[in-house]
Amino acid sequence: MDNREVLVDIKNLRTFFYTEDGVVPAVDGIDLTIHQGEVVGLVGESGCGKSVTALSIMRLIPNPPGKIIGGQIFFHGEDLLKKNEEEIRLIRGDKISMIFQEPMTSLNPVYTIGDQISEAITLHQKIHATEAKKRTIEMLHLVGIPEPEQRFSQYPHEMSGGMRQRVMIAMALSSNPELLISDEATTALDVTIQAQILDLMRGLQKKLGMAILIITHNLAVVAEMADTINIAYAGKIVESASAREVFKSPRHPYTYGLLKSIPKFTEKRTNEPLPAIEGMVPSPYHMPKGCRFNPRCPFATEKCREEEPEILELTPGHLVRCFHPIEP
Amino acid sequence: MRNYIIRRLLQLVPLLLIISFFIFITLSLTGNSLRSLLTSNPRITAETITKLERIYGMDKPLLVRFVYWFKAFFTGEWGYSREYHDAVLVLIKARMPVTLALMGLSFLISVAIAIPIGIYSALKQYSLLDYAATALAFFGMAMPVFWFGLMLMLLFGVKLGWLPLGGYSSQGMDTANFLMRFLDHLKYLIMPAIVLGLQEMASWTRYTRSSMLEVLRMDYVRTARAKGLSERTVIYKHALRNALIPIITLLMLAIPGLFGGAVLTETVFSISGIGRLLYTAITTSDTFLSMGTLMVLAILVVIFNFAADLLYAIADPRIKYS
Amino acid sequence: MSPFETEVQLAGSGPESYFSMVIRRLLKHKLAVISLGILISILIFCFVVPLFFKYEPTYSDFSYLYGSPNSRYLFGTDNLGHDTFTRLMYGGRISLIVGFSAAILPIIFGIIVGAFAGYYGGVLDNILMRITDAFLSVPSFPIYMALAKVMGQGVINIILVFSFLGWMVDARLVRGMFLSLKENEYAEAAKAIGVSNLRIMFRHLLPNAMAPILVSVTLTVGGAILSEAGLSFLGLGVPSSTPTWGNMLTNAQQDIFIAPRLVIWPGIMIFITVLSFNFLGDGLRDAMDPRLKL
Repeated sequence: MDNREVLVDIKNLRTFFYTEDGVVPAVDGIDLTIHQGEVVGLVGESGCGKSVTALSIMRLIPNPPGKIIGGQIFFHGEDLLKKNEEEIRLIRGDKISMIFQEPMTSLNPVYTIGDQISEAITLHQKIHATEAKKRTIEMLHLVGIPEPEQRFSQYPHEMSGGMRQRVMIAMALSSNPELLISDEATTALDVTIQAQILDLMRGLQKKLGMAILIITHNLAVVAEMADTINIAYAGKIVESASAREVFKSPRHPYTYGLLKSIPKFTEKRTNEPLPAIEGMVPSPYHMPKGCRFNPRCPFATEKCREEEPEILELTPGHLVRCFHPIEP
Repeated sequence: MRNYIIRRLLQLVPLLLIISFFIFITLSLTGNSLRSLLTSNPRITAETITKLERIYGMDKPLLVRFVYWFKAFFTGEWGYSREYHDAVLVLIKARMPVTLALMGLSFLISVAIAIPIGIYSALKQYSLLDYAATALAFFGMAMPVFWFGLMLMLLFGVKLGWLPLGGYSSQGMDTANFLMRFLDHLKYLIMPAIVLGLQEMASWTRYTRSSMLEVLRMDYVRTARAKGLSERTVIYKHALRNALIPIITLLMLAIPGLFGGAVLTETVFSISGIGRLLYTAITTSDTFLSMGTLMVLAILVVIFNFAADLLYAIADPRIKYS
Repeated sequence: MSPFETEVQLAGSGPESYFSMVIRRLLKHKLAVISLGILISILIFCFVVPLFFKYEPTYSDFSYLYGSPNSRYLFGTDNLGHDTFTRLMYGGRISLIVGFSAAILPIIFGIIVGAFAGYYGGVLDNILMRITDAFLSVPSFPIYMALAKVMGQGVINIILVFSFLGWMVDARLVRGMFLSLKENEYAEAAKAIGVSNLRIMFRHLLPNAMAPILVSVTLTVGGAILSEAGLSFLGLGVPSSTPTWGNMLTNAQQDIFIAPRLVIWPGIMIFITVLSFNFLGDGLRDAMDPRLKL
């Protein structure tokens, strides 16, 4: 794993939102590394800053109210945050592309899907319209859309949610990106469609070899796909390890809680309710002092309420931000 | 598409019927103009009136009279104006061009100002220009149209003397060439056109702004940005087309409304168009003339309803034709 | 939008009633607050100041026609020697009464039509909405003129005429609200325990639709004042013997060359009043819209 070249290296990223009601530290010091061809999961509840991290990489934070106020995002060793709008535009949709949660609203209703995909192709590959159309049809075929020639001139409203998400994937992969960011791309879909789309992404990753950053609130989504998993809580990464490690021996109490709340078919059915993490995600305006998880943590001590823990490498490749990590 | 057009056209027939019936009822409430002869002409007896009523079919029920009238209307029999002693159709035909020119110019000016400002306001939300546009829009919406016209007259006509105070053309222009005549008309119509379009201009600015702001928040705009498209393409290709879809309907449906405003504007600027004709017809209880002019209005309503549907269907692929 | 909308809403400053939230947000809206202040001043000017003022609106000084402003006649006199200042106050009364009545009456009608259409849906909804659309597609001003001529001049008639063609937008608004409100659990629950439909509609659902209705009323007042002025200018509004801001402009065309101030003052009063109502309505709308953050 680590002998592969580092593709993206996020260091101490801080993205804040300045609203009338106060400052929201959506991303408050996130570190994240993605190697070439690696599948990385970024998991957390809504509001933990995972989507903002993705939008920060794309430099698509709406400003105002949002602003990246610190840190670096290295892509091939160059800091994306230092690039001007024109430079970042050439990377966006070309080297790094992104698919979003809502397939129903993420495509422009007034243009055909063929238009929308070939638009991206002609933009980044500087090829002729007829060639772009050929490439678009290839892409539609690649993502498993039947009769791509006919689909080319259809409008988004003529397709189902799953089909539209395939179109989004085709669009995102049309210029062979090195990194695909999938922001809750399967969340809005039916369970069976969800599985199909995940299968498709896995297959395409094997075939095309791009790195994928999968952002989700659902650990099960990344279970089978991710090489590495990062767990985010309240704007910070609290645990980072290989997928195997995370599932086998979670060290952070939050990760532990997340895992416990996934129903398992292998376990014997009991009448006990599924364990859930108690309490609520902290208000972004009033972050708790000390460890941000302390109000919900069953193991919290005085120290947790006073001091903020640093993230530490407990075993090689397994990083945890906790004073009292769970013993494996 | 063809079926869609035909279906929409068919749906417009009941609309025209409802509106014209409504106008017919309203005007028939004005009273029987023959009865009023009884007081104004001492030589006419009640018997004669009854006879006349039978001849004109005025003893028939309202609905029957409406059917008669509607039939006559379609064969071009629009009746005779008591006030002008001329056929209603002739009177309307003579005045139509002025009013259409006024409404057209007003529409063009309003669109040309409102839409770009609305877009710019949305793109530069909370900028100085946005605030200025918002303030002007609110001023425009609160201004009594005729009063604004009088104020403009006072300023440009009386104080500065730049523009004529009223009318439609200068004397001796009949022999001038087309361009000269056009410019001459423009000089007379520019002030009334601005006055007539002021309120629409103001509200279209607001609508364009909020429609654009709404669209800019849409997921597909983010998708367009994520593709790496330039901000220009994102805004003018992806956002604008969507933002304009609801505006098209708004614009089309506002055109018949300009007709109502024309009554006030033509009165203020002494332009003898359909608006003034309607005003005279109503104040003098000239029933056939009122009916005729209001039917012009009804036809405008129907035409632009159709135009709105058609343009909407062209602009928005989500509209199903079947 | 920020991806934190849910959190942002959760993170309000503790539980707060809807009403006090609206007030707090409205007070933050500077223009709305200023407008409210101006409207209150105008109300005082029209309804209270005349009680302490020397002239009746019908008082004529025939020795001082088209008189310039002086210490006796603050704003001068008009073509019949009426004191302009006095007539501005009394005229405002009628204009405001017409404005308010012509906003409230159609809204009541609109609520009834919209409530039935939205609550019962189906064929009734279809018929009511087709009628609404037909009414909506006719430009109101020419019909106002025709109706005003038919019914004759008078304050009550003007209010009725405006109400006749002023209910459609409100009907649609209320219909839309009712369509979604009737799906609510409390409506279902009320129905299940046998509460009558009328009671559900007007006791349970209507209060939830009041916010946009209030905004609509506020915005309609301004429109009605403008329409009254337009009709009066054409001599089809309130009888010219009764002063209204619109009526004071009846002779505007000729007066503007003799004494422009006679035209300017009533116009400014109308303009400021309508502007204030519009700003207030806009502020209310922003304050009541939970999606908007101030």
